[in-house]
Amino acid sequence: MKARYGMAIDLDRCTGCGACMVACASENNVPRLPKATERTGITPMLVHPVSDGKTGVAFIPMPCMQCEDETPCVKVCPQQAVELDRATGIVMQMPQRCLGCRYCMTACPYHSRYFNWWDPAWPAGMERTLNPGVAVRMRGVVEKCNMCHARLHAAEDKAAEAGKRQIEAADYVPACVESCPTGAIRFGDLNDGASEVAKASRTPEAFRLLARLGTEPKIYYTSKRAWVRALAERHPAGEPSQPAAPVAAGGGEVKHG
Amino acid sequence: MIPTRRDLFAWGGGLAGGMLFTPVPWKVLDDVSIWSQNWPWIPQPARGPVEEKLSSCTLCPNACGMRVRMAAGSPVGLSGMAGHPVSRGALCPLGFGAHQLNWHPSRLRNPLHRGRKTSWEEATAAFRKALGEGPIAIIDGRTGRAASTVLERFAAAHGATYAAARTAEEKALGPYQRWTGVPTSSLGYDLENARTIVSFGAPLLDGWATPGRFTRLWSERAAGSSNPALRLIQVEPVQSRTAAFAWRWVNVRMGSESALASALARVLMEERLVTARGPMPSESVNELAGKTGLAAETIQSLARALVERGPVVAISAGDNPSVAALNVVLGAVGARGGILRRGGGTKSPVPVEALSGRMRAVLIDSTVPWEVRPNVDAEVFRFAAWHGGTTTADWLLPAPGFLEALTDVPTPPASAIETYAVATPLMAAEGSKDAARFLAEIDPAAGSLEDAIKARCEAIYHAGKGGLIGPEPQPVKGLASADKLYEALGNGAVWTGEAGTPGGLRCDLKEWPGPSAMESPAGWTDGWTAPVLPPLAAKLYRESDLRQAPARSDV
Repeated sequence: MKARYGMAIDLDRCTGCGACMVACASENNVPRLPKATERTGITPMLVHPVSDGKTGVAFIPMPCMQCEDETPCVKVCPQQAVELDRATGIVMQMPQRCLGCRYCMTACPYHSRYFNWWDPAWPAGMERTLNPGVAVRMRGVVEKCNMCHARLHAAEDKAAEAGKRQIEAADYVPACVESCPTGAIRFGDLNDGASEVAKASRTPEAFRLLARLGTEPKIYYTSKRAWVRALAERHPAGEPSQPAAPVAAGGGEVKHG
Repeated sequence: MIPTRRDLFAWGGGLAGGMLFTPVPWKVLDDVSIWSQNWPWIPQPARGPVEEKLSSCTLCPNACGMRVRMAAGSPVGLSGMAGHPVSRGALCPLGFGAHQLNWHPSRLRNPLHRGRKTSWEEATAAFRKALGEGPIAIIDGRTGRAASTVLERFAAAHGATYAAARTAEEKALGPYQRWTGVPTSSLGYDLENARTIVSFGAPLLDGWATPGRFTRLWSERAAGSSNPALRLIQVEPVQSRTAAFAWRWVNVRMGSESALASALARVLMEERLVTARGPMPSESVNELAGKTGLAAETIQSLARALVERGPVVAISAGDNPSVAALNVVLGAVGARGGILRRGGGTKSPVPVEALSGRMRAVLIDSTVPWEVRPNVDAEVFRFAAWHGGTTTADWLLPAPGFLEALTDVPTPPASAIETYAVATPLMAAEGSKDAARFLAEIDPAAGSLEDAIKARCEAIYHAGKGGLIGPEPQPVKGLASADKLYEALGNGAVWTGEAGTPGGLRCDLKEWPGPSAMESPAGWTDGWTAPVLPPLAAKLYRESDLRQAPARSDV
């Protein structure tokens, strides 16, 4: 049976610690580049702080949204360097095919793609800490989250060695999911109606970012807070997610929840 | 037939056109693309057998259990150890990049004397010379370890002062130690049984104590609920992450936490919301409310909310006697869901802040955070695995880095349950030496780390309490010998003792404590031994707008 791997991220549980970002970079051999900034760094998992402009705060972890058939990056790539894997639902990026035109970066409505501006480099000796399951990407190509595909390969190898055709769900868990200290990021097969992620995606609190575009992302978010859900469809004008104005000291008691 | 110029053009054109219908040009284009993107200077991961080992993080005292993925003899990935009794499978964000630290450009490789390269022999000779010439202090950053035993034994044998630097969590437990006589290393918060927690600036959701412990608890019992099973009330002058996700955020004036704790205690006793009777704050609720910037009615309703759902416990960011006294009023000291006395722990040494004046020499262990500088005029021997920049140390001595040396990991601060683990070296430590080994070479009577760890294993084995979690969970009583316990701990098992129990702590306040200065919570980097951060911390502090760079970040 074909799988459709996806995530359900509970924004009421995410405290914005950033463990997912570091675990992702470590797992995927993402370099720390001396000149990189928040615009040029490579952060396949990126946590965005948002606010309702008062005292409400949320953190939105954003990996690649893993769009379905109407995947903008797949459609625009002149090199077939991006493709939707029908067996898993994962949008795959193949850096060896990429010519670095960055058309996909322009097309992606979620800004989930990153360009390698520099040759990857580590301080002397630190290359010994690179994960052998993931190839290092080169300068001049675009990369993004591929749901820790190397872990899927490892799970498939393990299943094959055991003579099984299906992997065990516990054997394939992306690094960000594994690292989340509050369990905010849940992962699984959306085609499996009994999976936690499928159940979460069907709750009234579930939503997807920019669903109006019809890209059918497989990353679902959940929140009981209406203003957080409203962010999913916000338009550039009148955006409510500006940083909160500082509240005067001694301002009293604030009730959350 | 003699080919004409026209034929050559026709064949050439035909050949070029025909080639387009074969895979050759496309294959060549593809290969050139691959070749031109895989230059020899692009680092490639080392190939070799991949295995997984269990260990404990040693970068701060909070003792998170870790799974270490090893390839070709080096750690290539870290993750949390599921089922760990305190860290519960979580690591802090910095911990996920810790395996890169050993190759950090700031790594100390040679002993330095005032910036010049020197040798271990010269450093040893200098310390030997200092030994007989005047008062000496030895400063430990993490007491209760086998290495601490060696340092303490050496200090006792040579008339030196054994002092310790404390984390914010240990400082917060300081008042209870002063009032009950029980050392802070034997005290912990019973968070798992509390139903209301009022935090006075403690970054409970942002790096307080063992990070996984409270974040998991909050996630299970409070996150996203307007009527949570665990009520978290955060008293803080700024909207920290903990304040942002607390059930209630009480926004007080900077430095008025003591006043609020005193006002709450006064309301609790005046309105008979608690059974405790004893000294009261001398100021009225209105006077105290004026200091906090809150209305007296707000404080009164907060006091009622505190006792609405017990057990309740108050936690301060640092040494705050007023908050501790509030716990006494709430009946949280020695009670379920409050502050418990647990097994283990050692007598608290002299705090590093108490050292002053002129001394002959001070030796600082690598577990002491780089920022801690004793206020003494002395020749300073500082052990560190990384150079943290500006320093007053005369001697910088390279200590083993992350997972490079044998060390034991005692119970983390604030834990309600006693634990013990051993981190075995997973990599070779070239040219480095830890303070315990350095001192044991000068005076072998101080003993060795291995012997001290084995002695601790003997003690646990003969007590026969608790059990092992990890690869082969079993009770201590099921083990054949203390050596088997030592072996199991070396393979990554964690010994878990008995949880603290109510009773056994008695606090009788003679008078209400005066206000104390607020200590700012440090979060993830508090107690972080390395003066540098993992390079991947750049993702948090520079390549995103998630966090502002901490003071000692070099990302």
